[in-house]
Amino acid sequence: MKNTIKVERARKNLTQAELAEKIGVSRQAVNSIETGRFVPSTVLALKMAKVFGTTVEVVFQLEEED
Amino acid sequence: MKNQKHLSDRVLVYAIIWCVSYLGSLYALKSLDLSIVVNILLISITAMSFILFVYKYFRSIQMMDEVETKIQLEATAIAFALSLITVMKLGLFDLVFTINKDDWAYRNLIPLFVVFYFIGLFISKRKYHFDYEKHD
Repeated sequence: MKNTIKVERARKNLTQAELAEKIGVSRQAVNSIETGRFVPSTVLALKMAKVFGTTVEVVFQLEEED
Repeated sequence: MKNQKHLSDRVLVYAIIWCVSYLGSLYALKSLDLSIVVNILLISITAMSFILFVYKYFRSIQMMDEVETKIQLEATAIAFALSLITVMKLGLFDLVFTINKDDWAYRNLIPLFVVFYFIGLFISKRKYHFDYEKHD
C-alpha cells in the first residue's frame, strides 16, 4: 500500500512529531507508516485523513500486489 | 504519550525487581543452607515478581500505539520460538550426548530467553523502521 503522508504533511506544514501528537501515536510510528513499513488500522487512517482535511482514499492507495 | 512513557518506566522497575529477586534467590538457594520452607518461599517470591512483571508488561502493551504493540508482540513471538527451539534442541541433544547439567540447567536458560526477547525486538524494530531517523 502506498501513501501520500509526506506530501500531505508538507501541504499542512507538519513535522512527523506534530502529526504524531495530533493522532496520538509516537513519532516513530508515523515514520513506519509513512515509509510504508506498517499499514495502519482504519481508525488511525481516518484520524490521519481528518488531520489532513481529506479522505482516506487520498492518503492511502492500493498497489497492484495488494 | 506521557502516560505511555510512565508505564514503560514502571515496567522497567518491575523487570529490575524480578531480576534482583531472581539473582537473590539463585544466590541464596545455591550458597546458603536454608530450610525447605524458606527455599519454597524464595522460589514463590521470585515467581510472583515475574508474574507481576509480565502483568505490567502486558498492561503497558495495551497502552502502546498500534505500531509499538505489533513490534512488542512480534518480539515476544520471536523470543518464544527461539526459546522453544533451544529447549527442543537441548532435549534431543540430551538423548545422544552427555550435557553438562551445570551449564544447561533450567535456571541458566532464563538469561538466554531474555536475550531472545531483545533479539526479537531488534528484528521487529528494524522491520518497521521504528528507530530510524525522522524524515521531516
